[in-house]
Amino acid sequence: MKFRLLTAAALAVASLTAAPIAAADYPERPVSLMVSYGAGGATDFQARIVTMVAGNEDYLGQPIVIINKPGAGGRVGWNWFASDAENDGYTMGAYNIPHFIAQSIEGGVKYSAESFEPIANWGADPAVVVVGADSPYNTIEELVAFATENPGKVTLSGAGLYVGHHIAALQIEKATGAKMAYIPTKGGGAAAMKAVIAGDVVAGVNNLSDAFRAREAGSVKILAVADLERSDFISDVPTLMEAGFDVDNSSVNFRGVMVPKGTPQEIIDQLAATVPKMFENARVAKQMKAGGSPMHIMTRDEVLAMWAAREETLQDLLAGLK
Amino acid sequence: MNPSATSASDPSTASRVGHLVPASLVLALAAVVAWLSYTQEPASAFLFPRLIGTVMLALALWNFIRAAMGVSKVGQGIAVTTWLNIIPGIALMAVFVFFAAKYFGFYVASTAAFFLLYSGYDPAPHTALSSWVKRVVITAAFMGVIYALFTLLLKVQTPRGMFL
Amino acid sequence: MEFLQYFGGVFEPVSFLLLLGGTVGGLILGATPGLSPTMAVALLIPFTFQLAPTQGLILLGAAYTSTVAGGAVSAILLRIPGAPANIATALDGNAMAKQGRAAEALHVSFLSSGIGGVIGVFLLIFLTPVLAKWALMFGPSHLFWMAILGVTVIGSLDSKSFVKGLLSGCLGLWLSMIGYDDIQGAQRFIFHDALTGGVSIITALIGIFAIPQVIEMLSAGRKRQDVSTVVVHKQPFLDSLKLTLSSVKSLSIGTTVGSFIGLIPGVGGQIAGLLAYDQTKKFSKDPESFGQGNPQGVIAAESANNAMVGPSLVPLLTLSIPGSPTAAVLLGGLLIHGIFPGGDLFDNHPDVIWTFINSMLIGQILMVIFGIWVAAYAAKVAQVPKAVMASAVLVLAVFGAYSVQQSMGDVYVMFVLGVGMYFLEKFGFSAAPLVLGLILGPIAEANFIQGSMIANAMNGPVEYFLMGPLNLFLIALVVASVGWSFFTTHRENRNSKEPGNA
Repeated sequence: MKFRLLTAAALAVASLTAAPIAAADYPERPVSLMVSYGAGGATDFQARIVTMVAGNEDYLGQPIVIINKPGAGGRVGWNWFASDAENDGYTMGAYNIPHFIAQSIEGGVKYSAESFEPIANWGADPAVVVVGADSPYNTIEELVAFATENPGKVTLSGAGLYVGHHIAALQIEKATGAKMAYIPTKGGGAAAMKAVIAGDVVAGVNNLSDAFRAREAGSVKILAVADLERSDFISDVPTLMEAGFDVDNSSVNFRGVMVPKGTPQEIIDQLAATVPKMFENARVAKQMKAGGSPMHIMTRDEVLAMWAAREETLQDLLAGLK
Repeated sequence: MNPSATSASDPSTASRVGHLVPASLVLALAAVVAWLSYTQEPASAFLFPRLIGTVMLALALWNFIRAAMGVSKVGQGIAVTTWLNIIPGIALMAVFVFFAAKYFGFYVASTAAFFLLYSGYDPAPHTALSSWVKRVVITAAFMGVIYALFTLLLKVQTPRGMFL
Repeated sequence: MEFLQYFGGVFEPVSFLLLLGGTVGGLILGATPGLSPTMAVALLIPFTFQLAPTQGLILLGAAYTSTVAGGAVSAILLRIPGAPANIATALDGNAMAKQGRAAEALHVSFLSSGIGGVIGVFLLIFLTPVLAKWALMFGPSHLFWMAILGVTVIGSLDSKSFVKGLLSGCLGLWLSMIGYDDIQGAQRFIFHDALTGGVSIITALIGIFAIPQVIEMLSAGRKRQDVSTVVVHKQPFLDSLKLTLSSVKSLSIGTTVGSFIGLIPGVGGQIAGLLAYDQTKKFSKDPESFGQGNPQGVIAAESANNAMVGPSLVPLLTLSIPGSPTAAVLLGGLLIHGIFPGGDLFDNHPDVIWTFINSMLIGQILMVIFGIWVAAYAAKVAQVPKAVMASAVLVLAVFGAYSVQQSMGDVYVMFVLGVGMYFLEKFGFSAAPLVLGLILGPIAEANFIQGSMIANAMNGPVEYFLMGPLNLFLIALVVASVGWSFFTTHRENRNSKEPGNA
């Protein structure tokens, strides 16, 4: 007993001093993917779909296990990911842009865009403006006209502060010059959507994927999309730009996979090569479409450029709006 | 309405001093909470904490006075023999939770904690080989179930330390 | 009666096996200290990828139903509720187990779960459109008053001392304020990194109930335990059935409170059991006997928390809004197969949805049968040597707390709260009000702040919070609840002054 413990200890010490894990063997056990929102949310749901074929030999050859670390609008998960997650390639994280960049600009968190290494982007979910099915407003112009005449009377629900919905609401206020009341909810997009359907608020900013589902269910009308182009899912809905309001795609919720800073370069390269292929898998695409989730696959280099661009626009936007 | 003698609440065996210790600790905590609620920024976000801090402070003060007057009757307190019995166990658990689980790895630390806690409180004689065999077997069986449930079935990734 | 024609789907070999497996597995997961229904369902989602939509949903539905009931097993045997829904079950259920009546407690618990559950599913089948309206009626002001109604229960819940009960509740309310606040964007009371995300209810539940039990088991030291102290009574099943069926009052209060409160998105599930328990106690001729092993307490709590299962799916199925964390996970299970919940779900995918609902119905019955069958064996847990039990619960608590969010910080919080609670309990503080405070704090605060923001955009807070029939109705309930507490306290004081009753 004692002897075997000693052997085990000796082995452990040996493995600690040995060279870093050879990338050739990577991954030799399941890889976890940290999602900083709760189980059942849009990010969690999509992360589960895009990683479901990871065990396939063409991709990682090992399953990806989703770990939820919800709390404080994603701050808990990303704080953990930046400071505690091991950078051995076995812990990946899901990022949400603009959320984490906006939060790092707001301050009080342990991360910034420099703390993470992107691997690949899988989806882009624009923010949309929704009203209840029985709302008197049928177009974004009507809603803005009412808001202009009645400053502060239009309540807009959204999922918390410094998330895509909040950014979109700030941009809309700035572009239209109409004062509105942004109502952050606890419980994410679902709670914000409930407030719209139940008529607790006049209108809401929500994810396109959730709004699309709610519209299919007949509970809401979608007035506008905060993106540069119309979405294939709701091609009848105009963008805010088309309606004449200067709102770009800064609030579009980009979702993808990253690893912590300090992960060995060979592993980053290996993941950057295989993960986008995994996202392109036909089964993944079919499930994402069935779930009403828009896909937008980007490689590591494209994501790096997108992060840098977003950092810059958000710095301006939040400095101007604070 | 008609509580029979047997079903009445536990007779209080805690002394007046015994009640004063937790009462003072809770009072101190309430004071810290109330003080923080009134001093932290942004003030608008501390509306509820202030309300709760104030109510808690008032209740804690009331509770403290009751304890000091010796009218706190509920709770049986902790006897000296009980203290002697539980302190080693709590110390072992604290080492396991705060140190060993992360340093040695979840499974190794849990196995050790289970085995030591079980052996330490097992009434079977320490001198008999049979009791040690039984302890090892039960520990191995239980940790096997834990492994099957959490790692194989639920795919939980436990922290690895020096060992597993 | 459309659902009848889809009953066949449930009894196809694969579906039925999944239903059976989901029910039995769910009971075992639910009975494991530290595993909540939401976790069990979330962890099953990946399995459903490989199954046809109907089969996947059968598995999830069965698991959801039976984990809620399974949580009662550890609540009764070990006084460790599996989920917030089972807290009230622990109060009387564990007292019964200590008197050697564990088998009886388990029997009535499963029977009333089954009865409540079946009624709940029938409500889902027949009254969905009506219930959907009810679920939407509750805006921020109403949810705020609901939370306050819950707070009024704190003082009277499982505490022999009014001051200490309230103080325990305040501690819980304060714990709930810790962490980053989503709505106001402020960091509050974060003394340690482990607290950034706040104190999660499941983590707290594990610590506050499991750790004091572990320490309690160690408190006798290395003494040979006297096995004969707890005689496990054999309980004939028919007696339990008679007892359950004759408890019409507790069953109806439990089922009504459970199904209507359970419906409200974001509040229901967690407090339904406690509110039903409190109501049953208030309406009882013998409120003193609650907490001392009164089977009526178990019946009310368990019929409430399973009656909630069916209606809690109404907002999800009709409006596509998940009303509870578990419903959110089920939504993922639906979406993965390209099924969009919503008004026309019943027209577009009747086979899937009716088979799912039917499986919950059959699942309730299977759960009762299996639960009754294991009750006799489960009751023997009382005979496991204390040293083994303490070690096992400790390891389960640590693994359970860790796996909620795979966070070591949660394990620290769990342990600190647990050790603290052990000492507080020894001096008359109680765990149930503390957890109730922890659950209600965020509901009260978030809805008050949101309501105030909305009120400012409308006609002001007075109209928003104090006008309207539903606000007034809820305020009346709050006043009645407070009044009742004062009335009974006064009556008790007078009684206790009578000689011979001290």
